[in-house]
Amino acid sequence: MLEFLAEPFMQRALLVALALGPICGFLGVFVTARRMAFFSDTISHAALTGVAAGFLAGFEEPTIPVLLYCSLVAVAMLWLRERTQLLNDTIMAVLLSSSVAGGVVLLSLQRNRWAELDKFLLGDILSVNWTDVGVAWGVAFFVAGVLLWKLTPLVLLTTHEDLAHVGGIRVRAMNYGFVILLTVAVSLSIRALGILLVTSLIVLPPAIARSLSHNLRQHIMFSFIVGIVGAGGGVLSSYPLNLPTGPTITLTLSLLFVLSLVVRRLRRDATDVKPTA
Amino acid sequence: MAQPPKNLATPAIEIRDARVRLGDTDVLRGVTMMVPRGRMVALIGPNGSGKTTLLRCLLGLQGLDSGEVRILGEPVGPKVLSRVGYVPQRLQLEPSFTISVREFLSLRRRDTRGWFWQSHRRIDSMLHGTLGELGVESILDRPLAGLSGGQLQRVLIAYSLLAEPELLLLDEPTAGVDTPGEQSFYELISSIHARLGLTVVLVSHDLAMVFRQATWVYALNGVICCEGHPEEVLNADSLKAAYGIHVTPYHHHHHGAASGPVEQPIAFKRR
Repeated sequence: MLEFLAEPFMQRALLVALALGPICGFLGVFVTARRMAFFSDTISHAALTGVAAGFLAGFEEPTIPVLLYCSLVAVAMLWLRERTQLLNDTIMAVLLSSSVAGGVVLLSLQRNRWAELDKFLLGDILSVNWTDVGVAWGVAFFVAGVLLWKLTPLVLLTTHEDLAHVGGIRVRAMNYGFVILLTVAVSLSIRALGILLVTSLIVLPPAIARSLSHNLRQHIMFSFIVGIVGAGGGVLSSYPLNLPTGPTITLTLSLLFVLSLVVRRLRRDATDVKPTA
Repeated sequence: MAQPPKNLATPAIEIRDARVRLGDTDVLRGVTMMVPRGRMVALIGPNGSGKTTLLRCLLGLQGLDSGEVRILGEPVGPKVLSRVGYVPQRLQLEPSFTISVREFLSLRRRDTRGWFWQSHRRIDSMLHGTLGELGVESILDRPLAGLSGGQLQRVLIAYSLLAEPELLLLDEPTAGVDTPGEQSFYELISSIHARLGLTVVLVSHDLAMVFRQATWVYALNGVICCEGHPEEVLNADSLKAAYGIHVTPYHHHHHGAASGPVEQPIAFKRR
């Protein structure tokens, strides 16, 4: 039934999905709790300029320019938030739309690259090579390691920044550090899900896990597991169903989200039933 | 003759000529105050008087344009802040953030900072000593975002006390608490103050509370307009200086559970 896994391109795709899914799920718990979903969306859309600039600079695989440009946009968002009176949403909308427009204009200057736009908008996980697999797992271990190492300060920062400060945490450094981790994870996940869908890998696992969790520890663990199930399940189901892999990952997570709502409703109903005397 | 320990000889808070300008406004215009150790003091003042800015200066969240702030004998910094407990007004948690009360409290103690890997029983045994009178042991499994205002304030107090602070700063601590909850909250603070002997600073606009609970009051309006025992400060002239309006204290003739130096709660009316 899973004989398609004998295909090396499917093996590579599955390995990349299994590295990025759980890490995005882990990060997503804090992204949603800190109301940063739009922030993550802005970073992913900024990648379009990174892709186009990378091509223009002669990169065949623009991962490094994407990472650099997305980091620049992420830091610019934080810097503008600190230094101006502008609303967060305004700052993000300006950077998102500017980056998309800039990316399209830069791509229009390179007509031979125009056909590759789909690959970056919707992802192309089936084309990853073994180097990409290695990078994805390296980054996954790095991000997971840092998150576990700094878990307590990050949780306190998410709860209340002033309490974190009084607790001896360097709030500004932690904020920048978290944003850089998120940028790295998002930039690399664009290869799997594309600019348009990558936020689903960040937002949906914690939203699904939320329905099953009673505390933060469970939330983190379930979100991590849902990331594995959603990303891995999406890759595995896309082949026999002959569907594009990136969107199938998102739809798998969406299906799990609907199921989680049903489970939540059933649990609530069960709790509401009063015991008979 | 034995000298008192150095740390007890220094005041809990020393502020000298603190000035802060935010935008076009001089929020603090030369605040000078000294809070001795062991007092339960209130900092009162109208909206915009600089109460929150002054508190932020004490916590190192707001820099001074000039002047000096020392807490527990040291300049404000991470080292001395580890000896300070802070209770903010509210947390504004996103409902999707599932942190439980137990997990939140675990963040404060060094021996429970590995909460992600520790069993609930182990964490509870380490927290138990501090939680006794605070009434939070029964809600350790509850999500922090789902607590009532009164429960949340108790949890925040417990969080602060877990680090065994010498100074406790509370910012409008009963802002989201109903009236009965407010009363029991202040009784709790009084009891903690009496039992642990720590210095407590309450930032509040609730003058009745000040009269009941505080042993010393600072009235702020850009500068310290007046300070003293509540019955000295809370008179029409002082309050006019602080609030810029005529405010007359009058006494309710019923007996509350007062624990401060004055037995009757008061309310205030404008004239």
